[in-house]
Amino acid sequence: MSTAPNAGSPDTGAGAPDLPEAAVHRLSGGAWSSGLSVADFASCLDMGMEPLGYVQGYAVMQWSWYMSTGGFAGGFGGGFGGPALGTGAGQGRGQYVEQWQCPHGFVSAEHRTYGVNYELTWLERSWSTGWGLAVGRMVEEAASLGATGVVGVFDDMRPLVGGTVEFRASGTAVAVPGTPTPPAPFSTYLSGQRLAKLVEAGFAPVSVAATLSAVRMLGYCITHYQLAGTSVGTWYGTTASGAAGVGPVDQVNRAQAAARRLARERIRAQLGHDILHGATLEDTEREIGEGDLAIQCTLKGNRVRRFKDYDPLPDPTPVVRLLT
Amino acid sequence: MSTPAEGSAPLRDEVRRAVVALGTGAERAAEGGRATTSDLTIDETLLLHSAGWEPVDLVFGVSWWSIPWGVWQWTTGEVQEPCVAFGGAVDQAAALLRRECEKAGGSGVIGVEIGLTVSSHHVAIALSGTAVRRTQPGGPSGKFEFISDLSARDFVLLTRAGWWPLGLAAGASFVVAPRRTVAQWASQQGQNTELPNLTEALYLARERAMERMQHSGESMRAEGIVAVKLREGRASSSVRVMQFVAFGTGVHLADGTHRSISPEMVVPLDEKVRLFEATSLRKPGR
Repeated sequence: MSTAPNAGSPDTGAGAPDLPEAAVHRLSGGAWSSGLSVADFASCLDMGMEPLGYVQGYAVMQWSWYMSTGGFAGGFGGGFGGPALGTGAGQGRGQYVEQWQCPHGFVSAEHRTYGVNYELTWLERSWSTGWGLAVGRMVEEAASLGATGVVGVFDDMRPLVGGTVEFRASGTAVAVPGTPTPPAPFSTYLSGQRLAKLVEAGFAPVSVAATLSAVRMLGYCITHYQLAGTSVGTWYGTTASGAAGVGPVDQVNRAQAAARRLARERIRAQLGHDILHGATLEDTEREIGEGDLAIQCTLKGNRVRRFKDYDPLPDPTPVVRLLT
Repeated sequence: MSTPAEGSAPLRDEVRRAVVALGTGAERAAEGGRATTSDLTIDETLLLHSAGWEPVDLVFGVSWWSIPWGVWQWTTGEVQEPCVAFGGAVDQAAALLRRECEKAGGSGVIGVEIGLTVSSHHVAIALSGTAVRRTQPGGPSGKFEFISDLSARDFVLLTRAGWWPLGLAAGASFVVAPRRTVAQWASQQGQNTELPNLTEALYLARERAMERMQHSGESMRAEGIVAVKLREGRASSSVRVMQFVAFGTGVHLADGTHRSISPEMVVPLDEKVRLFEATSLRKPGR
């Protein structure tokens, strides 16, 4: 079983399957299994795809928002004052770091004179490793079955026991008789009619693609006041909106934009010249403390490749369904 | 497994062709050397293509605006600050979405998903959608044209009927309902009766929000607003704060006249089977 960390795209391990002995025995014969619905199963048969087995991959990872090594913020250019700190995005080691300085001078020991947004690179790497291992192991199982691809992939991450998370990936390995075995089985979240339409439209499924971006925001005084609702008066003043204390929370807006931009850049890096189709974005925010946020974006989709041109559809006919 | 019965032969050929193409690594370079990303389904992609559009990139716009402390307390009627914050956040998020779209080479954004959070001290708007561009020259080249929360299907239908989306129109109002007098409270005890203070607060919020959405549409020279979605009810920050939020896509007639799309009527034969409780057949008397 492949255990090498993966940088985001699934490690297919197709060249040298190294499955547990029990799995090899189970997969070597007997009845095939499938995770497809009856409709999707019928559609796959119609496309000339034969199900070989319901394949899965798992990886359990120790999980924390804070690293126990590497200082307070491991991966943050060596911690506060490290070489990666800069006023612009993308400085240092290529990670996102942006800082804010208090405009007030010394006010009190509790006054937040410094604010920073930074990318949680260690969290992103951990997620990439876990997801890559689970998907890679699923594809590895499919390769050991001689599969052409894995369709109807489902993947997720969920807490398992204290301080750990489980990455899961499963799908149905299929073979397309009459075709050469590809270097690595393809994988796609699609199945059934949607997969058939994709192929008819001239796109070949390449792989599932996913990434996570995470940005931590430590608010400086202005952000802190704004999120606490205490920005009325001299600290923030009357804004262009005309209402005292009402205005954009710039530091949060920059952090939110960065998290999304990073997710898009990361997934694009997995695509080469291919296309990301049917993407979904999930974003979450956690308030770590007053004025501090952790923002996380997960972007997933199907990497597809155009293998032929397709003719535009004829003008669709609008219909009214006579159904309540 | 035994070979399944022959299905759609051309489709099977296409599947084999796709698999062979993967094996040979025959990668077609994306136009301009940049990978495209989209959250559209394959149906939507095909439909857009038939109407002369193609996806370019996923685009995002997020804006948080602050609300000062104390604005919800010791007052009745509409609270101005969250209304101003809402309007500012929507405008800023839409501007960010437009900037990302233009940077990606798109001329419009469709299927915009709108995330809204209103808390005591901030309003957060998160917009995400797919930037699209024309496959054939025919419109204002390189010019930004619209932001719309309509799906690709609705967008194609709308444009076929001669209408054109312009932008997101939005309005919101937050109203603090007055407390009841002691006499009112006493007379309403133990009864299921209307609470006019809350009804009136909701009505006031509705009028203001709808009016602001209309103004928002007028400012973009829209003739109407379609697919309006409402969010109304109690705001999470207080039991007496009624919120009313309205979103839609501002549209105008592109050629001056509406074109009938003459829909065909169909009776679908995939109606859900109506189920019944089989045990009811065993009831006494049957």
